Amino acid sequence: MNRSKKIVLTVLVWLGGISVLHSALNLDWGVILNDRLPESQRKFNVAFIPVT
Amino acid sequence: MTDYISRYSKAGRIFIPRLFQGFPEIKEALISNRMQAGFMVAPMAIALRSQGVPIRIVYLGHRYGSAVVVRKDGPINDVPDLRGRTIAIPSRFSDERLIVFRVLKKYGIKPSELKMVEMAPADVAGALAAGAIDAFSMGEPFPSQAEMVGFGRVLFHARQHWPDYISCVLVVREDMIQRRPDAVQILVDGIARSGLWLDDGRPNREHAADFVARYYYNQDPRLLRWALTNPLDRVIYTRLSPLRADFDLIRDLMIETGVLDRKIEFEDYTNVEFAEGARHKKPWSYSPGSNSAE
Repeated sequence: MNRSKKIVLTVLVWLGGISVLHSALNLDWGVILNDRLPESQRKFNVAFIPVT
Repeated sequence: MTDYISRYSKAGRIFIPRLFQGFPEIKEALISNRMQAGFMVAPMAIALRSQGVPIRIVYLGHRYGSAVVVRKDGPINDVPDLRGRTIAIPSRFSDERLIVFRVLKKYGIKPSELKMVEMAPADVAGALAAGAIDAFSMGEPFPSQAEMVGFGRVLFHARQHWPDYISCVLVVREDMIQRRPDAVQILVDGIARSGLWLDDGRPNREHAADFVARYYYNQDPRLLRWALTNPLDRVIYTRLSPLRADFDLIRDLMIETGVLDRKIEFEDYTNVEFAEGARHKKPWSYSPGSNSAE
């Protein structure tokens, strides 16, 4: 494998790894999937702020 | 708290709590139907309904729980010392603003004698500590934060001047009420049962402070523990049915202080059938840490 292929492969692996980590740690998939359900099946969203 | 406990209930979880950092953002999310329900300050809910936004107040979030806080070693020792000072409030449409007006009137002080600034609740403690403001009128846990950290002192609690004070209310979009009244009732029942569970004594409050701070508020559990137990009735979570007398008072104060331009009747912005449905509910049977709730 030549040098430029190695660099491209490293970048792709790094990007893939970071993307997987980001989607696992920072995205709330329960919310995202819920918003895509038909309205009749959707859980409803209740807004709150951290104040009594 | 309701969400946390209902995860383990037989009825299951039919709603998703979504954290916001300010009331204006909640208002926009409700208008756009991104949120179907939300907790917001009562005057904002009344004002929105008056402007034609299709929401209804169905329940209260709590009673009491707001206070005016000043710097611990500052020059403000009594209400008249607020003259010429800057005080932060969460919104023009908040009970925290109305309580300030009410107290100023009691002491014969004109509102124009002090400066009110709107500030996101999370920012007030830092602003007070840094000297950017002289006082703030805010809901818990921010008064507790100022006390606990040591830079603030409660000048007065809202309940001292406004018996049965209320602040946050639960509003639900009208289309949700029409389409899924069963879901709205489950939510209101859950809040009623959570409130009864919380008001059952100190251990439940301490446990609630722990899991709510950790999993929902992203705050130090010691802070919520302070707010919920110092003293135990600093905030109460029972008597949460919307009452006409409470809301007439808020509406009239809104008109008097220029944030509402016409009289709107209680029936036009509330729906009390869900509160009626929750009237005889019992507290959750739930032990913190267990994986079942009934």
